[in-house]
Amino acid sequence: MRVIKLLILAAAFLSAQSDPLVDGLRQFDKGDYHAAESSLSKAGNDPRARGFLALARAALGRCPDAVGELQLQFDKADDKELSRLAGLGLARCRAAISTDAALPVLAQLRSRFPDDADVLYESARVYMRAWNEVVYAMFQKTPSSFRVNQMSAEVFETQSNYRQAIAEYQNAIAKSPRALNLHFRLGRALLMDSHEPRTLDQALKEFRSELELNPSDAAAEYQVGQVLVAQQKQQEARPHYEMALAFTPDFAEALIALARIDLSLRDYPGAIARLERAVQLRPASESAHYSLMLAYRNAGRLTDAKREQAELEKITKPPEGEFTNFLKKLGNKPSTEKPPQP
Amino acid sequence: MKPFAARLVFPVVLHTIAAQAGGAAADFRNIAAQAGLTRSFPNGGISAKQYIIETTGSGIAFLDYDNDGFPDLFVVSGDGAPSRLYHNNGKGKFDDVTAGSGITAKGWGQGVCVGDYDNDGFTDILVTYWGQNVLYRNVSGKRFEDVTARAQLTQPGTRYNTGCAMLDYNRDGHLDLFIANYLQFEFGVTPKPGANPYCYYRGIPVSCGPRGLPFASNLLYRSNGDGTFTDVSDSSGISAPKRSYCLGAVTGDFNRDGWPDIFVACDQTPSLLFINQKDGTFSEEALLRGVALDQDGKAVSGMGAAAGDYDGDGWLDLFRTNFSDERETLYRNRGGGEFDEATTAAGLARNTRYVGWGCGFFDFDNDGWSDLFLVNGHVFPEVDRLKIDIHNAQRGILYRNLGNGTFEDISEKAGPGVLEPHVSRGAAFGDFDNDGAIEIAINNQNETPAFLKNFRRSPGNWILLKLQGTRSNRSAIGAQVRVTAGGRTQIDEVRSGGSYLSQNDLRLHFGLAAAAIIDSVEILWPSGTKQIERGLAVNRVITIREKL
Repeated sequence: MRVIKLLILAAAFLSAQSDPLVDGLRQFDKGDYHAAESSLSKAGNDPRARGFLALARAALGRCPDAVGELQLQFDKADDKELSRLAGLGLARCRAAISTDAALPVLAQLRSRFPDDADVLYESARVYMRAWNEVVYAMFQKTPSSFRVNQMSAEVFETQSNYRQAIAEYQNAIAKSPRALNLHFRLGRALLMDSHEPRTLDQALKEFRSELELNPSDAAAEYQVGQVLVAQQKQQEARPHYEMALAFTPDFAEALIALARIDLSLRDYPGAIARLERAVQLRPASESAHYSLMLAYRNAGRLTDAKREQAELEKITKPPEGEFTNFLKKLGNKPSTEKPPQP
Repeated sequence: MKPFAARLVFPVVLHTIAAQAGGAAADFRNIAAQAGLTRSFPNGGISAKQYIIETTGSGIAFLDYDNDGFPDLFVVSGDGAPSRLYHNNGKGKFDDVTAGSGITAKGWGQGVCVGDYDNDGFTDILVTYWGQNVLYRNVSGKRFEDVTARAQLTQPGTRYNTGCAMLDYNRDGHLDLFIANYLQFEFGVTPKPGANPYCYYRGIPVSCGPRGLPFASNLLYRSNGDGTFTDVSDSSGISAPKRSYCLGAVTGDFNRDGWPDIFVACDQTPSLLFINQKDGTFSEEALLRGVALDQDGKAVSGMGAAAGDYDGDGWLDLFRTNFSDERETLYRNRGGGEFDEATTAAGLARNTRYVGWGCGFFDFDNDGWSDLFLVNGHVFPEVDRLKIDIHNAQRGILYRNLGNGTFEDISEKAGPGVLEPHVSRGAAFGDFDNDGAIEIAINNQNETPAFLKNFRRSPGNWILLKLQGTRSNRSAIGAQVRVTAGGRTQIDEVRSGGSYLSQNDLRLHFGLAAAAIIDSVEILWPSGTKQIERGLAVNRVITIREKL
């Protein structure tokens, strides 16, 4: 709220006497919205007074009295900070009516303030609420649907609770044995849950079940190949990767997997051809660049290998400032600033 | 068709099918108590750790400090107790001889490596610390003196020194010192568990780092030949890489040009391979040589490292231990010091629940093929709260080399010593009773060390070679040995440091299977001298002195 403090200072400088605008801004900054509303309503037609009056009213839950001015201030871009605060206030007021109504405001906010933590937080909060509303409706209206189990499983996955996810996927499959994607997700959850080598067989069975339901599922073919490679059955894996590519010719991961088999068989031209395509498809893929670098090296094409090495180093470089910024923060005291209050 | 790309969010956890095999392959038992290793060594928190310094643990070393022919033991301690020196009495027991030995330094001990830096015939000890390293000079095999300051090894500030190795990188006959550095850590400055996103593991607050903590650079000290050293870290190029968190170091002539190179396992960052340029400098070439990352081009959490010729092609391969949910990494040297990852193809990708540390190639069954052992233990004791299949105390893993480029995981039939769960760190390999079967000494956090002895006698023959340099450094560190017997040739090098912050017996052990005589032992000494010994008898310790 450094901006508000500056506004207070500026207003105080211009007016040596007690001023409703200065008082109102100070009260707003302290979070005393009742007093701020009272002071700012006496502050005349100053656009800052109007803007913060609307923000104070919004903070007091009097959205109908605030949204008009908030919309006005949000649309005006001349005072960027006031516009940002007005947008946040407006989003909250709209969300109080319906989640859907807030979404266009949030989209605008994110477009104008893409790196703003308050904007991102408010967006996340509203989207989470939207998600909750839909899931709640699903649980209320279709409690016995396999989709409820599927949704539960996916949530457990995001929480790294793979054991529960597995149980929910199994419940979903029991209810709807022919639904697509369930065996696939179950296979992946099995692999994530356990470090036991025997899990590979269980996962393989699920990926194959998925393929029985959807024989042209490139991702399932790819996963079958991955499991077979992990089981040291490289040659058995090859046709599965090839099938995945046949279904989806731009499947970069399958190209890389096939190239690795080529490399192990010293078929460097074959590997290079696949990997050059993989790099084209996925220019930010560390795996593609790394494999291509080694393929060039093994083929004796050192200049090309070094070029790939440079590419790889470029894309794997940690984001600029990751460590230095962090270190600077180490010296900071915990923030005592209040969160922005629309 | 379904949108597939979005469905590839989670990596496939790599495993391999356990090879089915019957019968006990080995019978390793922990005889630490019988061997006199009854003291516990403190190393940070037991049920929770506040700082990363508590996680890295310490190394352990075999060395024959009194030249009586039996390797003694040096155990590095964390803060709260001194490191300890144990004398091997030759009758299956170690005696604690720390008191009066001159081993006095305390603090956060990390690594240990040995070698005769002053060429006086007695093996000296370098101990690395978070803080100030200590060089102990061996005085006639009777006691040690701290010569750190005299040797000009005093460090101006606090450093997180980790793995070390003595090596004669300029081949002048005097051992130089390589010391890996982990990161910059300070109590009171480094944040505490949960302080930021780098301080969580699977949702629970844990000690912070290494990500998010500032890097440090590695060190190289050149011997001046008079008992002092000069810091040549910058001029040699060793300090140049500044984006890796370095732990275990292992030396070897990976490109077989006659000059020692250095591999450093690094945590969550690319590992490093310093190739000796033969002019006093090194070039860091890990990425292009294929040992910086895993096969997916990702940096993994490298901890320990071992070098050995597992496939018998005459080139030193590399093995690195990593974190849980990662595979160990085996890099096969395809010749010339260029490597291809062979982890999965060699059957090593099956154990992904362990956090690996000390490791080594050694031929436990004397069949002439280098097997592989590694010790494990988590860095976050808090992991036990999660009730998952990853635990804080973890067992070891023994892979038997099948002689065809692949390994079989025989951990579950290799004896109770392998299966005991500990929070292990350093591991050292040596034949403490000179019977041709290698023992393994393991430094466990906040416990007594483990000492594994194999009670299943192998029918295979063996030889232990003790090399003594004359023109070369006295410890013969860097000497390359080719043993030909029974139609096969094996290679190894005398090496200081390695494993995880640890030191193996400087003597080289070769399993010879049924060969009843050794056709030849070829030695390329660091001085450049080539020496061949022929028709040696098996099943004994042989000392070979460099011919002038």
